[in-house]
Order: sequence, then C-alpha cells, then structure tokens
Amino acid sequence: ELKDTGWQELPGCQAVCGTGCDISSAISEYYDPHYVRVRAQAGPLVSPWSHTLEMVPEYVAEIGPPRLELQSTDGVVKVKVFPPEENESKKMWINDLSFKYNLVFWENSSHAQLQNKNVFPVDTIDDLAPNSTYCFKVQANLPMDGKQGWFSPISCVKTTQKAVDDLCATNLSVLALNMNFHLLWNNQGNQDVTYDVQYLLGFLKKLNDDHSDKWLSVPMCENITNTQCNFTSIATTAFFYLRVQARQGHNKSCLSREVEVDPLKTNGIGPPGVRLDLSDTLLHILISPPGGAEGEVMREHYDLSYRILYWKNSSDKEVVQQKEVKQTIATVSDVSPSSLYCVKVQAFSIAYNKSSAYSQQQCIHTPAGTPLPLVIFGIFMGALLVVLLVAASLVFVFYQAYNKIKYVFFPSCQPPLNIEGFGAQLFSSPYLSAAEEPVESCCVIESMVTEEGNQIHFTDYKHSKESSRDSGNYSNDDNTSGSKGSKETLDKEMV
Amino acid sequence: TMNAFGLIQIGLLLSSTTIISSLQCNHLPLQQRKVIENSLRLLDKMGKEFPQQCLREKKSFRFPTQVLQPRQKETVGVAIEEIFQHIFYIFSKNLTLAAWDEKALDQFQNGLYLQIEQLEACVIKKHIQHHWRKEVSRLKLKKYFQKIHCFLTDKQHDLCSWEISRAEMRKCLQLIDKVTRKL
Repeated sequence: ELKDTGWQELPGCQAVCGTGCDISSAISEYYDPHYVRVRAQAGPLVSPWSHTLEMVPEYVAEIGPPRLELQSTDGVVKVKVFPPEENESKKMWINDLSFKYNLVFWENSSHAQLQNKNVFPVDTIDDLAPNSTYCFKVQANLPMDGKQGWFSPISCVKTTQKAVDDLCATNLSVLALNMNFHLLWNNQGNQDVTYDVQYLLGFLKKLNDDHSDKWLSVPMCENITNTQCNFTSIATTAFFYLRVQARQGHNKSCLSREVEVDPLKTNGIGPPGVRLDLSDTLLHILISPPGGAEGEVMREHYDLSYRILYWKNSSDKEVVQQKEVKQTIATVSDVSPSSLYCVKVQAFSIAYNKSSAYSQQQCIHTPAGTPLPLVIFGIFMGALLVVLLVAASLVFVFYQAYNKIKYVFFPSCQPPLNIEGFGAQLFSSPYLSAAEEPVESCCVIESMVTEEGNQIHFTDYKHSKESSRDSGNYSNDDNTSGSKGSKETLDKEMV
Repeated sequence: TMNAFGLIQIGLLLSSTTIISSLQCNHLPLQQRKVIENSLRLLDKMGKEFPQQCLREKKSFRFPTQVLQPRQKETVGVAIEEIFQHIFYIFSKNLTLAAWDEKALDQFQNGLYLQIEQLEACVIKKHIQHHWRKEVSRLKLKKYFQKIHCFLTDKQHDLCSWEISRAEMRKCLQLIDKVTRKL
C-alpha cells in the first residue's frame, strides 16, 4: 500500500535497532527535495509515522576534506590540492573548479602563529623561514553557496635552505600608458646574463593540472640582455602572469617572482590632445582622444569621458570653469571679445576610476568685437535710412501720378465760351490730345467771309489788309498781354 | 507577458547594478558587457558552423530563464557569476575531439575567469550570496548544467556532443547579453 502513495521503503534502514541510519543509497537526485519519515515497531505494534522531514541533498550536504600534497624544494614549499570527491564517479560538487582553497599553516614552534592563504590547486608558498618545520591543512570552500568545507588532515614538512641566487631578476614592475606595456626589472649586478620573459594566461592557474609547462615566451623578449620588455603584443584585455628567467651560461638559470597583470586595471590613460577654434562668439574645443588611432580599443573598454577646464586669462581673479563631456567636441558660448582664453583637458573613466594627466594648455585670442549698442544703433540708423528712401520715392511717384491725373481729367484752363458746342464734343475731339501748347491769345483773320458768297473781293482784300495791319498792330500788342487780351481783340474784329 | 518580463529584467538588473557599483566594483557592469560580447565572438571563432551530421542528435536542454529574474533583486549578478562558473568548467577539459582553435578557446576561458573572480569578490563583500542560497531557481540552474555535463560524459565528449553543447552555451550567453544590454 506504500507504493500507491509514492513512499518507498528504504533498503538497509528497515528494523534498525539504533536511532540513526545511512540513507545515502536512496539519494540520487541531489537537487530535488526528498521526504523521509520513520516509525517505531515493537513486536506487532507499530507507531504512527513521524513528522515528514523535507530536505534537498545539495543544500544540507557539507564539503568533505580535500587531499594535500607538499613538496619542499629550494627554500619554498610546493603545494598540490586535490579536490574533494576526486575519485567519485557520481559527484555532489560537479564543478570542482569552483572551489576556493583556504590553506592554513604555521611554524611548528612554541608560539605558532596561524597564517591563512588562498591557494590555487597547484601553488607555491614562499617567504618561509629556512630549515624550519611548517604544518599545513587545507579546506575547500564554495563561497557562493555559503559553504565551508572540512579541513584535510594536517601535514608537516621541513623547509630547505634557499640557495642564494643573485642571478635572479628582482623588483619586477610594470609601466603602462595608453595600453603600451613595459616590464622592468633589476639586474643584481651580474654580467653575461640573458633574460627570457614568460607569460601565463590567468585561468590556467584555476585548473587542477600542473601549469608549469604552460608558460610561453613573450615575443621579442627572448634571450635579451637589457632589463626591460615591451609586452604590448600579449596584453589584450585578458589577465595573465609574468616572470623573468635569468640565464648565465648553459646550466645556471633562475626564475623571478611572478607579477599579476590585469591590463585594464594596470594601464594608465595618457592625456588627450587639444585644439581650439573660434567662430563668431563661440569657442570650439576639439579633443583628440588619448592613444591615437590604435587607442580605439582602450577608449571602448574604459568608456572615456573628458573633463575640460577653461578660463579667461585676465589681470583680475581668474575663474576656472569646468565642463564634462563624452564627445570629442565641446563648445563654449559665453566668450567675451578681445580676451585670451586658455583650455586644458583630461580624459577619465568613471567605471575604472582612472584619469589621465591634463593635456598641454592651449590658449587663443578672441577677436575685438564691435560693442553691441553701437551695432544696434548702426542697424537702426541703416534701417531708418532705407525706410526714408523708400517712403520718399513712393511719395514722389504718387505726386507725379496725381499731377498727371489732375492735368488730364481736371485741367485749370477752360475752353473759350464762343466755341459753342465745342464743349460737347470736347472729349471726342482729337484736337485736344495734340494741344501741347497753350491756346493762342488771338488769331489773325485774313479774309472776311460774307453771307453773299464765298467770293473774295479785292477791295475786301485791301480792307482786310488794312484791317490786318490794324489787326497786326492790335495782335502784336495783344499777344503780349495774355489770353484775355486776345478775347477783346477778336471781339473788335467781329465788329 | 513578454513585455512584463522585459520590464522586470530591466528593473532587476538596474537595481543589481546599482548595488554592484556601490561596492567599488564600478567597472564590473561595463566589463561584464564586454566579456559577454567577447565570449560570444570567441565562441563563434573557435569552431566552424554546426555540422550537419549532428543535427539528428540535437536536443534542447531548456535553460531556466527564471534564474535571471529572482525574487531578490541583487542576486541577478550572482546568477550570472554562477552561469559563467559552469560554462568555464564545461570548457575546461576533454576537448580533444572538438578540435577547436586553442587560442580562441584560451581567450574565451581567460575572459570568463577574470569576470568570475572579480564578481565573486564583490558579491562576497556585500554578502549577497546569502540571498542567492535561498533562491529556488538556483537549483534549476545547477540541474541544467548537470544535464549538459551528463550529456557530454555519456557521449564521451565526441564532436557532436561538443558542437551541441557549444550551440547551447551560445544560446545561454545570448540570453544574458540581452538582459545585460537592456540596462
């Protein structure tokens, strides 16, 4: 009836006399919750089931002790740690690379001081007193799972005398600017020493295997005599170790201490370049990023920003202003004319908390500008002049037009009254348009037109001559007197 | 639901990043984006395209996406660190039959390793791992990688099992990339 409910009998834990039992055989899925219950039996009597215990094996399991191997050579102790469950086919801790090993060691003396060191599976302990016995124990921890493992049994070893080796390279240091890396070291005053700079990729130390054969030579730094090496070629953004092997002759060699290099953390950012430009009242700051053309990778990884400092170089107190930008062009808009402005720029990375040195100071003179009120006045006067000119010409044009219209449609001179019917035909007569000259004051009537006929008598002619003579006199006089005079003359003639 | 999922992810990663930044681990979010970008690139570079003959054996391992949206916001960073640990472990041995480019593989491992170490230091500093321990999805994640590990072991790390695993890891990193980019 048990099988129906899902519960199974635990083999090896049936009819147990004590109050404990090993249930490992029933545990196969380490990440699934398991449920256990117990009941007592006394003869035919059976107790009810106990409260069900729920547990997840991975959660309750503890990390067993690792295995420790020690080797004492040349004044140092070489340590090799084998992970827990090393020979198990089915492991609780599958990822044995995630262990962090804590080595505890002390000198086997009366007042022993415990030392702690985080070690790799294959590691070296130096800085130990020679010819002394040291004892070691190690535990495997899983910090992310919040677990601390059991300690291995204690193992003791005696250190040897360290051979005084003045051949080794010492004081290894790294100088890095704009992702150009140099390793420098000291020669201990030896001659005929050649150096080999070697590097090891960081992750190899994390593996359980011995990495001593995984060191590679840095290109261009093999068999060199100078005490520096440019290792830019291998310094991509990865993490690695460096060491220097010193060689003298055929059989003498020495390995220096190791140096850790995290390129992005070690690198120093160089100063950017600055160029200034002016346009109107704007000051343009053109920044050339550090590292030049090859520095693109660096800029990308650091996510660089720029801090600009600018000030007006005047005799009064200089106020330094600051501006932070991400682009390589910045503009300052409130520059005063006829002044000297100076600028310097610094590159920085917020993420990596790094900043470069400031660039060289660049200065520029702003041009003399026309004072603003004068400019405004000038523009105003100019506009005024233009408006006046336009207005004047318009007025002139309109006046001329008015005059013409007045002359044509409303003339001041009236036609004579005796020209009857003339007015009626006034507008249809073409005579009008041709008349440019003022009306003549009088006209000379040379022949008398009688009612009898059209014949012209000579006597009449003489008469007319006389009269014309008279007329001539009169007309001459009247010509000068004006139009009114001409009217009178005409009247006289008719009579 | 997908929109809500996306919003939750953004919110969680925003808050988790704020926490990581305040630990003087300011460079980690930026570096993490670069590591993921780089890892995806190297994963492609180390081998050729997926072999046709392995298509028959291809299986889905069903990555537990809920691990990137845990109840405790700070633990997204820890989840990513654990994923990197597992990937690092898988690609650390028995690679002979895969016949991949060793240099690309080394750089891939090295990038992951650096990120793991730095993330771990920051997480421990702020005791975020205690919250992570109580996460249910944490066990689902371990199960997922256990499945892949068993798959490789059963197939004796032959070419097809490696190629299938590599494709699976690419999917996994792409998912993390998407979550990290939304920031």
